[in-house]
Amino acid sequence: MGTPELKTDINMMVAGQGGDGSLTVISIFSELLTQHGYNLFIARDVASRIKGGYAGAILRGSLKWRSCIGDSIDVLLAFDNEALEKASPMLSEFGVVIFDASDGAANRSNLTDNVKVFEVPFGRYAVRELRRDIFKNSLSFALLARIFGVENDQAIACLKHVMRRLPENVIQTNINSFCLGLEIADEFGLHQDEALFRLKKAERKNKILIGGNEALAFGFMVAGGRFYCGYPITPATEILEWLISHLPDFGGVALQAEDELAAVNMAIGAALTGTRAMTATSSPGFALMLEGISQAGSAEIPLVIVNSQRAGPSTGMPTKPEQSDIGMIVNGGNGEFSRIVLAPGGPSDCFHAGVIATNLSQKIQGPVIIAIDQAIAQDSRTVDKFDLEAVTVDDGKRLNEEDLARIQEYKRYAITEDGVSPWSVPGTPDGMTLVTGNERNEWGLVSTDPVNRLAMMSKRARKIESVMADLPRGRKWGDENALIGFIGIGMATGLIAETVERLESLGISSKALQPRTLWPVLDETLEFIESCRSVYVVEQNMEGQLKQLLMSQGAPAQNLIGFRRYDGVPPSVGNLVDEIISQLDNHIEPECSSEDRAHG
Amino acid sequence: MAKSFEPGEPIWCAGCGHFGVQNAVVAALAKLEIPSHETLIISGIGCSGTLQNNVSAYGYHALHGRLLPTATGAHLANRDLTVIASGGDGDGYAIGMGHLVHAFRRNPSFVYVLMNNGTYGLTKGQDSPTAEESADGEEAGLDGIALGVSLQTTTFLARGYSGNPAQLAKLMIAALKHSRERRGFSFLEVLSPCVTYNDTYSNWAGRILNVDDDLNYDRGSHIEAFKKISMARETRKILTGLIFEREVAAFTTVSPPALIDVNVKKHLSDYQNLLERYVV
Repeated sequence: MGTPELKTDINMMVAGQGGDGSLTVISIFSELLTQHGYNLFIARDVASRIKGGYAGAILRGSLKWRSCIGDSIDVLLAFDNEALEKASPMLSEFGVVIFDASDGAANRSNLTDNVKVFEVPFGRYAVRELRRDIFKNSLSFALLARIFGVENDQAIACLKHVMRRLPENVIQTNINSFCLGLEIADEFGLHQDEALFRLKKAERKNKILIGGNEALAFGFMVAGGRFYCGYPITPATEILEWLISHLPDFGGVALQAEDELAAVNMAIGAALTGTRAMTATSSPGFALMLEGISQAGSAEIPLVIVNSQRAGPSTGMPTKPEQSDIGMIVNGGNGEFSRIVLAPGGPSDCFHAGVIATNLSQKIQGPVIIAIDQAIAQDSRTVDKFDLEAVTVDDGKRLNEEDLARIQEYKRYAITEDGVSPWSVPGTPDGMTLVTGNERNEWGLVSTDPVNRLAMMSKRARKIESVMADLPRGRKWGDENALIGFIGIGMATGLIAETVERLESLGISSKALQPRTLWPVLDETLEFIESCRSVYVVEQNMEGQLKQLLMSQGAPAQNLIGFRRYDGVPPSVGNLVDEIISQLDNHIEPECSSEDRAHG
Repeated sequence: MAKSFEPGEPIWCAGCGHFGVQNAVVAALAKLEIPSHETLIISGIGCSGTLQNNVSAYGYHALHGRLLPTATGAHLANRDLTVIASGGDGDGYAIGMGHLVHAFRRNPSFVYVLMNNGTYGLTKGQDSPTAEESADGEEAGLDGIALGVSLQTTTFLARGYSGNPAQLAKLMIAALKHSRERRGFSFLEVLSPCVTYNDTYSNWAGRILNVDDDLNYDRGSHIEAFKKISMARETRKILTGLIFEREVAAFTTVSPPALIDVNVKKHLSDYQNLLERYVV
């Protein structure tokens, strides 16, 4: 055998049936990569079922910062033929497959000749020798360790680390299972010192591995969020579960409502008392919440709402990512009201969005929406530890008893220069108010007077202007003088960032912008578009909702080219790079292209 | 001291049953000496949804049918407040019916006053779920009290009548006490006739059967309550009084989240410990 290939960027997939424990192997291998100083990105690929059904996970380990899946899978661990068939189109030309042959031979019809396949009946070994099918995970890890030339001691240390919270006898059985796996590896021709790949050894970084939903919930809590209410829905449920687990430890309340209508209104009820409140849902649930969001806008109630978008329309594809609610998030709800929409593109952004949204909701006394998608919500990656000390809690214009004693009149909806009226919460003496979603006068009494109406509409609209400086600015990559640009939010973030890098290595200069405030559209976004000859708007939907939004705010249509996918699968960097190259090769001047490139 | 809003005059038609309800609310709050600023009245949509405008307290005009989730959220966020949800039968038994079942199930400590007039007055007289006669003349009205008895966690069910202010005042006080003592959800339905679209004063007055008059009635028993409700129904009577009362753990909080210090520094080490769990 030749020298093992050095992998500084590795994509590994583990797939089988839900309940096979694919995530265990991913966790153990993650620890191995972390020990080598690699950054991690983990994406889940699951069907919406309790147990059983195809389920897979992809782990990308890279010495560079990576925030999307690579172009192809280097190593596939497939527990059955369904998993092999699903994963084989993504397999690299010189990929390696470890196949559990317990239920028969691998179907190699979709595999190219250069792919190496090791067919090993793990399941049968595990049941025969260890009496439990689940031990096939640690058993198969032994083969992975051999493929990457990992010393046995280090591999066992990884196993122990991942299983450190399990009972001693379980850990020992897993180690036995791993050792059995080594014997099997020898039997199947994967010997010690004959690795196929090797990893570079870099310094272990002191980072955290976290998903977007958890990071967002964390941010909300640190910013003083103390009331959460949600209704279970994929892919937003982790927020509910995380806050039910942790919020009570900090004096907060997190509960599961009977439906989304209850969830948003319970949050409104809590917000009325001055408690920082949030609700989260996914697309169809967000549609149900819109009446409540409009109420928060009209009645001027601070509220954070998360929409973790999934593929629609209607019940759509619950476990697949999409960004097809942009129109609903920005414009949905009856009537016209001020709102802010944040669009985080990874766990760090999600944490900050949780913090900023909570504070902004208090400052504007209205709805702040965090728009994410299934990939941002559920994929995890390594990021720097959140800077907890930097978080501040901003109550906005809150009046306490002393404040009220100093003023002559207290009008809940007083017309002010910045549109924000100081408010007192129930329990504050002498601060009694009427809060209503109806049009009302400054005292909160219902009014349909035309002059009052115009004054109130204008007051509410002004509120956003007062917080423009607080809105998160976009992240940028690439050469600022480049004429080719990319714009994307959420799940497109890692993709456009890496595409810029890949193009640069091919001698093509480009730049990318991830706007982190989706609404209002910031000037910097329009300036970015104007500074380019052509901007690819990368989004996961059919109709180009982000592109339309940008155009509606003045982005010149001739500068924008859509790059879209809506088949439930995130595009790869390779897809996007190929698109650019083919346009350049075909001498199609991107700015002349009137047709969008939509990838079904 | 700042001047806040002046409670307004009711918009109801002369003779509307809701005047009686408002009087009972105001009298009960005064009797129990509950400070105005510690009272939060959450009202629904409809004629009844204007009660908060006329009472000196914090008032919130909720979305149609969403009184109970709103009140649940407000109570859990600040249990020190006296929360009164007040709405109509369209609000509570039609568009918001789903939430009533869950309020019984959770048993949060606030009062729900449902003004039942069997009609949609504000939209000029459409049938509500409690409209008694269906097209074929059969009784079709929904009974929220019977529904309440069917749940194991219900703790307080009463029905009053605007035409009997003395009893209504007593029931309102009992309901407020029940919830303020954090014994749970107090459901008080009030027969509150709509003189314009469904004037039921004379019809109801003759059919009322007051359980408070029955000294042998065991209001803590599901079986007795069902028996009483069924017998009343068979004789076309309408049960009023404190129909059901029981002790079940209430859904409440240890301390009010609205009042805790959320300064980051105060919780920093605990936040940091939590973050450490994610270190790889």
